[in-house]
Amino acid sequence: MDVPETVTAALADRPVAGRVCLEAGAGVGNTTAGLLEAGASRVYAVTNDNEHANLVRERIDGTDTERTAVLEADLRTLPLASDSVGLITAHGLFNVLPPASLESIAVELTRVATPGCHLVVDDYAPLPADAAVSELFALENAATELAEGRPALTFYPAAVLCRLFVGYGWEFDREQTLLDPVPWTAGHVEAHAEVARTAASEVSGKLGEYLTAAADRLTTEIGEESVGRMYSVALRLPV
Amino acid sequence: METRSLGKTGHDSTVMTFGAIALNWLEQDGADQLVELVLDHGVNHFDVAPTYGDAELKLGPKLRQHREEIFLGCKTQEREYEEAKQTLEQSLTRLGVEHIDLYQIHGLEYEHELDTITDEGGALEAFREAKAEGLVDHIGLTSHGDPQLILDALDRIDDLATVMFPLNPVVVGKDDDEYDYEAVLERAAELDVGTLGIKAFAKGPWPSTDELPERDRPYANWYEPVDTPDEIQERFDFAASQGLTSVVSPGDPKLVAMVLDAADRYDGMLEEVQRSLVERLRHEQSPVPEQLHH
Repeated sequence: MDVPETVTAALADRPVAGRVCLEAGAGVGNTTAGLLEAGASRVYAVTNDNEHANLVRERIDGTDTERTAVLEADLRTLPLASDSVGLITAHGLFNVLPPASLESIAVELTRVATPGCHLVVDDYAPLPADAAVSELFALENAATELAEGRPALTFYPAAVLCRLFVGYGWEFDREQTLLDPVPWTAGHVEAHAEVARTAASEVSGKLGEYLTAAADRLTTEIGEESVGRMYSVALRLPV
Repeated sequence: METRSLGKTGHDSTVMTFGAIALNWLEQDGADQLVELVLDHGVNHFDVAPTYGDAELKLGPKLRQHREEIFLGCKTQEREYEEAKQTLEQSLTRLGVEHIDLYQIHGLEYEHELDTITDEGGALEAFREAKAEGLVDHIGLTSHGDPQLILDALDRIDDLATVMFPLNPVVVGKDDDEYDYEAVLERAAELDVGTLGIKAFAKGPWPSTDELPERDRPYANWYEPVDTPDEIQERFDFAASQGLTSVVSPGDPKLVAMVLDAADRYDGMLEEVQRSLVERLRHEQSPVPEQLHH
């Protein structure tokens, strides 16, 4: 299981070994793999996306099934007991959460955390205004706002997420830079364009067609770009 | 150009090693000029082999003229005593020098080769004899094969002074043991063995010959290299930041000047920038390890 170096770097100074961990927003299970490799006693990989849940299950199949539980659940209502998790990660999670959901997720993650629990929040800082990918992300947000009434992406400054959790009793531990610049590869660009196209297909009339054409055009124009910064913020609940 | 201690050899090698295979593609005048250019940049570690066409012969004139400025690495793919001894003598003759600073077991690929080399009547006997006679100063090993085999060789050959192996962001991004050249780097550091990095500039395997016939390949390398100044700098900075003693330049002469400039400018690479490069490339194909079936 290849574990991205961003995950390894973010966990390097955290006491993972022997802890019950929670990967909030499991994606393809990169952090779950990193937590298992670092000696977690148990990992709950939580995602509300069935496809992602299956990917994580496939990834751990035959290796660490006994230490891992893939939970298809909403992060605002976790099927976990209070005070049950010793380390929580949110690697690249918050950028796909709209501002309105931050509070309820912070409340729920705090509920399941044991006293002394560690929290690692890794995410993307807001992009510089002249980044070519910014136009694609703006298009993606416009299309999802029109189709679903919410933005697809929000890049929160590290300080904002840090202060959110400090407001729920967490104490700031450290901040570090994981990537600088962030490589938005051709694969990433295409994946974001595809989100925009899917949302645009639900927007009727000429506007939908315009958004689709714009997604195609931007994919070609951008190709790939390395820009922006990915950070890691670590916090801890007092004992 | 920055220099670093080459393990227990006592030599301080420049952070760039000149891969003299590049001379094979040049006429003698061009070869002389390239060697002068490399020396002008302060490079003091050269690496050559009898299998690099006539690179030994073309290196000879300038090597003899500047012998004291150059730490000379050469190697043999022979695995048995008699043949290894003969290729060493042939290299000394072709290069026209009295001794070779670093003589290396070249291109180790299989466990059975390691058995042959280390057994009675194996190449290592010839290497050690040559060392006692002053024909060779130090013994090394090169491989772009299985990193576990290189680790095995480090355990079994206690007088290895250097190892040469691939290191680039593509292999660093992969966790499987077959790409774990970082483990070789760590073990070599523990043993104070000098480390020479190859394939730092590998972009990936060439497209199939149906897509791109061999004659149409723009570079002589057996893999597709990166070839812009920025990419070369990025790859050099990455490789040199991993803890290698020295980064070996790629085999096509057209790339050497860019690598020299990158080596001159080398000033470290921040960890977040290293991770950025690994993250960008970790799904790419790697041309190593690959069995070359010599």
